[in-house]
Amino acid sequence: MSEEEVIATSQTPAARLAAYVRGGGLIVPLITVVLAFVIGGFVVLLAGKDPIATYEAIWKGTGLQWLFPWTTGDDRAIAAINLQQTLLITTPLILTGLAVAFAFRAGLFNIGGNGQYIMGSIAAVWVGSSFAGMPAVLHVLLAMVAAVAAGAFWAGIAGFLKATVGAHEVITTIMLNYTAIYIGLYLFGLGGPLQSDTDRSVPVSNDIVEGAKLPVFWGDPVLQGLHIGIFIAIAALLVFWVVLNRSTTGYEVRAVGLNPEAARYSGMSVSKNYVLVMAACGAFAGLAGSLDVLGWQFRLATNDIQIAQAGFIGIAVALLGRNTALGTAAAALLFGALLSGTSQRNLDASVFEPELAANLTYIIQGLVIVIVSADVLVLGLLRRGRGFIGRGTGRSGPAPATAAARSDGAPPPEPGP
Amino acid sequence: MSTDNALELRGITKRFGPVVANDRVDFDLRRGEVHALLGENGAGKSTLMSILYGLYSPTEGEIYVDGERVEIDSPSKAIELGIGMVHQHFMLVPVMTVAENIVLGAEPRSGGGMLDVREARARVRELSERYGLAVDPDSVIEDVTVGTQQRVEILKTLYRGARILVLDEPTAVLTAQEAADLFKVLKTLQEAGVGIVFISHKLGEVLEIADRVTVLRRGKKIDTVSTEGATEQSLARLMVGRDVLLRVDKPSAKPADPVLEVEDLRVLDDRELEAVRGLSMEVRGGEIVALAGVDGNGQQELVESIAGLRVPEAGHIRVAGKDVTGRGVRATTEAGVAHIAEDRQLRGLVLDFTLTENLALREYREAPLSKNGFLSIKNMRRRANELLVEYDVRGRDADLPASSLSGGNQQKVCIAREIASNPQLLIAHQPTRGLDVGAIEFVHRRLVSERDSGRGILLVSLEFEEVRSLADRILVIYEGQIVGEFSPDASEEELGIAMTGGKAGKTPA
Amino acid sequence: MSALAEAVAPSRVGAREIAWGALVLGVLAAFIALPPIMLRTPVPSLILAVAALGGGIFVVREGEKRLGWIAIVVAVLAGVGAVAATQTNESSLDAVFVWSALFAAMLRFATPLTFAALGGLLCERSGVINIGLEGMMLMGAFFGIFGADLTGSWLLGCLIGMASGGALAVIHAVLSVSFRADQVVSGFGLNFLALGITGYVFVAHYGDQGTPGDVPRVPNVSLPGIEDVGFFGEAIGNANLLTWVALLLVVLTAVFLFRTPRGLRLRSVGEKPRAAETVGVSVIRTRYIAVIVSGFLAALGGAYLSIALLGSFTENMTAGRGYIALAAVIFGAWRPFGALVAALLFGFSSALAQRLPEFSESTAVLFQALPYVLTLVVVAGVVGRSRPPASIGIPYVKE
Repeated sequence: MSEEEVIATSQTPAARLAAYVRGGGLIVPLITVVLAFVIGGFVVLLAGKDPIATYEAIWKGTGLQWLFPWTTGDDRAIAAINLQQTLLITTPLILTGLAVAFAFRAGLFNIGGNGQYIMGSIAAVWVGSSFAGMPAVLHVLLAMVAAVAAGAFWAGIAGFLKATVGAHEVITTIMLNYTAIYIGLYLFGLGGPLQSDTDRSVPVSNDIVEGAKLPVFWGDPVLQGLHIGIFIAIAALLVFWVVLNRSTTGYEVRAVGLNPEAARYSGMSVSKNYVLVMAACGAFAGLAGSLDVLGWQFRLATNDIQIAQAGFIGIAVALLGRNTALGTAAAALLFGALLSGTSQRNLDASVFEPELAANLTYIIQGLVIVIVSADVLVLGLLRRGRGFIGRGTGRSGPAPATAAARSDGAPPPEPGP
Repeated sequence: MSTDNALELRGITKRFGPVVANDRVDFDLRRGEVHALLGENGAGKSTLMSILYGLYSPTEGEIYVDGERVEIDSPSKAIELGIGMVHQHFMLVPVMTVAENIVLGAEPRSGGGMLDVREARARVRELSERYGLAVDPDSVIEDVTVGTQQRVEILKTLYRGARILVLDEPTAVLTAQEAADLFKVLKTLQEAGVGIVFISHKLGEVLEIADRVTVLRRGKKIDTVSTEGATEQSLARLMVGRDVLLRVDKPSAKPADPVLEVEDLRVLDDRELEAVRGLSMEVRGGEIVALAGVDGNGQQELVESIAGLRVPEAGHIRVAGKDVTGRGVRATTEAGVAHIAEDRQLRGLVLDFTLTENLALREYREAPLSKNGFLSIKNMRRRANELLVEYDVRGRDADLPASSLSGGNQQKVCIAREIASNPQLLIAHQPTRGLDVGAIEFVHRRLVSERDSGRGILLVSLEFEEVRSLADRILVIYEGQIVGEFSPDASEEELGIAMTGGKAGKTPA
Repeated sequence: MSALAEAVAPSRVGAREIAWGALVLGVLAAFIALPPIMLRTPVPSLILAVAALGGGIFVVREGEKRLGWIAIVVAVLAGVGAVAATQTNESSLDAVFVWSALFAAMLRFATPLTFAALGGLLCERSGVINIGLEGMMLMGAFFGIFGADLTGSWLLGCLIGMASGGALAVIHAVLSVSFRADQVVSGFGLNFLALGITGYVFVAHYGDQGTPGDVPRVPNVSLPGIEDVGFFGEAIGNANLLTWVALLLVVLTAVFLFRTPRGLRLRSVGEKPRAAETVGVSVIRTRYIAVIVSGFLAALGGAYLSIALLGSFTENMTAGRGYIALAAVIFGAWRPFGALVAALLFGFSSALAQRLPEFSESTAVLFQALPYVLTLVVVAGVVGRSRPPASIGIPYVKE
């Protein structure tokens, strides 16, 4: 046997385990979440608070208790309202998660979800507040299409730059994020072109026409019940899965993400795929923006633009969900619950201040991303194996963002003499 | 324990898990001798030398330098002991100069801790003159020839006072002239008392340059003989353990119409220099044409152009009569070109894809593997299973990732996929690189049988033996042009001369 | 590229000089339309801009792509800017283009970028991508002022800030070098971590009031004599101590990188780690040190923001500067003086964006995006034309 074969065959059992994990094993994400929350708990401890009580208080606010049959009476009613909030927050996270996951599958790191979301919401609010007489279904569709187009365009810029000059999509999308914020601030600011016609003293947009609002199917519309947007988000999940795993486009995307050189050698156009993928991701994120605008925001203030972070949370969602459809859904729910549970209205301030809790969620997001980046760490905990790089260009989780970022398509690291 | 010996390795054993890479190997080196280490790929030569250089530690065994027992736990230690290694793949920093590369890690300093550039230059010049290794200290590594780079590597070791020099397959990347120059340098070093370990699998060279030869096979030392009285055949027998047929037996070719016509092709390389300069050639169905030449003379760019990966500046490429010049990989695939790429892990396979997915890489866009943009997983799997059986790929679960296969099996997957697309022209670029003897035999036999089914095969290989064994015609490429056409009976000299620009053989049409 | 070899092919010399010339012409084109010259017709500017454009295109054709493209962009911007300037009334131009104030502001904005860029430079030269510069800056920004408040000394505050950046950098080093994690992802995660940690401690400790107004600040250095002299007086006569430190550091880094043995080794680790390892240089140790030093430097840049420039901390106050610093590293071709030029350029755009509201309120907000858009243009136009260290982003496996 050549020495290469020596090394390759001696790791076959490990390779099988890796394949199992890649195939969708739940263990790794679970460990990731547990680790992140445990470390987060330490942070809480360091701040002099009780981590268990804190997590309990957060849990109370999520409304997930409603899913359990033993929750009854008043508790059940409260939980229902909380769960509506949770799902309301989860809806855009599913989509912004997909916006990152799809990119990762292609080997791209789309940090621009937030900017794409903002552009989408701008487009949605503009279309939604114009065309007063339009029939409802058409109006909603038009607004969503506009949002999708805006998001796709915004992301497409980064994709185009990556495909043509190899510009690092991390930097370009981040810059586009900030630019989007300023565009929003300009448009809806005092004296801005899209500022409200009715109230000129507040930096806010026009209101969405009644007919363009998404119908609420659970809960009281007055109390911000759950709108049908969640079904759209779930539909997007399905589209994601089908396209990625059953279509030739998805096959190409995955090939490009795992080994752009081999993809090129098989006749795939790596550049075209980059642009397509980024545009699709922008479409997802833009759609998320429209669902929020048409579903519960109904107008955009400059303040909304500045505090928007669905796009950023999407990154942790995608990474935790290992860039798969099911994983993204589960992770989106997790973060939706976390955000809902730590929000001003749900979190018991005596246990933990909500402002602090907001930062706690950042820490947990950061931990999730960091832990996932070193998936070797978690896999190592699983099997105490040697991390071996000879497995080729990468893992199916966070795709080799660094490898793909090298526009010269450099070869993977040599395994040694 | 003779103190004549600069180096002694005793009972060296190295295990990687269940695999025994070196099995109780003894090896000694006298001062001022050239001692060759011979063996096939995977015989354990590189592992043995890596142990010597401190990159691995032996599972068992002892090392003696100048009669004293030593433990070599890192390259620094090896360097301290006077052991210098010239690797097969050079360990040079491309963007730095010759002098910078040589002094790296042992830099001369001027007052205040600054790098003393003049001193570095001076020392390099002095060593260079003393041993006859001509280099310009200020030239940048990526701009100099491979032969020069090798001289830099040797100077690196001499700069650090090496008395034992290990050369790993040094002539693999050299032209015949550069190899001759190297041998002259080695003689000079010998006279200066430096002991040289010469690792190779090229029998002819070993006989020419070495005083003694140690043969390894499957991790064991078979024998150490003097080169006096040895022949290529006797060495080959030791290497492989049986009488080796140095050529594949094959029926003669029955060439038909041309499947590939290249006319006056001009192609630029990545640095926008002309790599292919007005090259013309053809390959007919039913024959194997080998493209022989030293690496870097345009083979890469030529193959990429034919495969559709690179757009030529001028000229034409026709596959089975259809013009595919610059039209991209999909067009060439449709026209009937298949390409067994040079680096299977980088270009031939997506290692994290399953075998099923990898086997679909060429034809996933067409029925039966897909319909209306949607993949038919069922058909993909069926195709995969058929191919895995036909090519006898061990570890046959089609849902395993390609990374779990051995090198030989991975190459089989690549070949299976390419041939399954039923090409008119099959390009095989270094198809047996890094494979063991069994896998090499399989690939060779398969290529011949595909030739006999009427396909045209363009073989690009740097291995002399492979070229002579498989080819019906040999085209030598030099500086972007075909400079000679030879029959497989041509001698190594003739081919070597052509490969370095001399004139021999039939001039191309 | 190397200190030892000025291996410049003859044909390049001509092209480079033409490129520089085109660049100068472009800048001149913009300059003559602005105060103090303030020509009121765009014609001379356009002539110069077209000349610059032509020069740039010619140079790109000749192969000097990087400088050529920069010249082209400058020419276009200058042309557009000149036309816009001639359309604006003179008093507005006078209000905005007070060159000495602009210069001083440019230095102020460039200082944090310079620190972070130098850190990023060293890190990337060793082969490790550092997207986490933003987070390290933020750590330095908060813990710097926090430390200064607690200890009553701006010096100790700076050191504490640097240490906090170093701590974050240690995590990045462990992940990237030892665990061979995906460096981009891990760096990005650290930014979130930093956001959360700084915000958390900030709110927990300072609650609603924010940092106190009387935290000791890093002093400005007034240069006697120069201080009152016209342009220079306002421009550099009263710059902050850290600004001078940053400039000094640029020189020191350049000397270190290109003229010392350790700098040579650092570069070799980033270009071809295996080559370095085989001559006894420890790749792992070198990378660890480089990453941690980058943490120190980025944090110092952040500390400048809070302790020197603004005297306070607000959540997420770095606002993307860490990423802009990274773009500066790329734009400067991974060389200290290049990064400085880039930092000055971005600093100038921020300075301009700060003054432009003087003449148009509502569009002022849009101009705030100028540094980010500029970064986008720079990254798009420059990446791929300059070569990063060859082994960047590739985890190193030691056998």
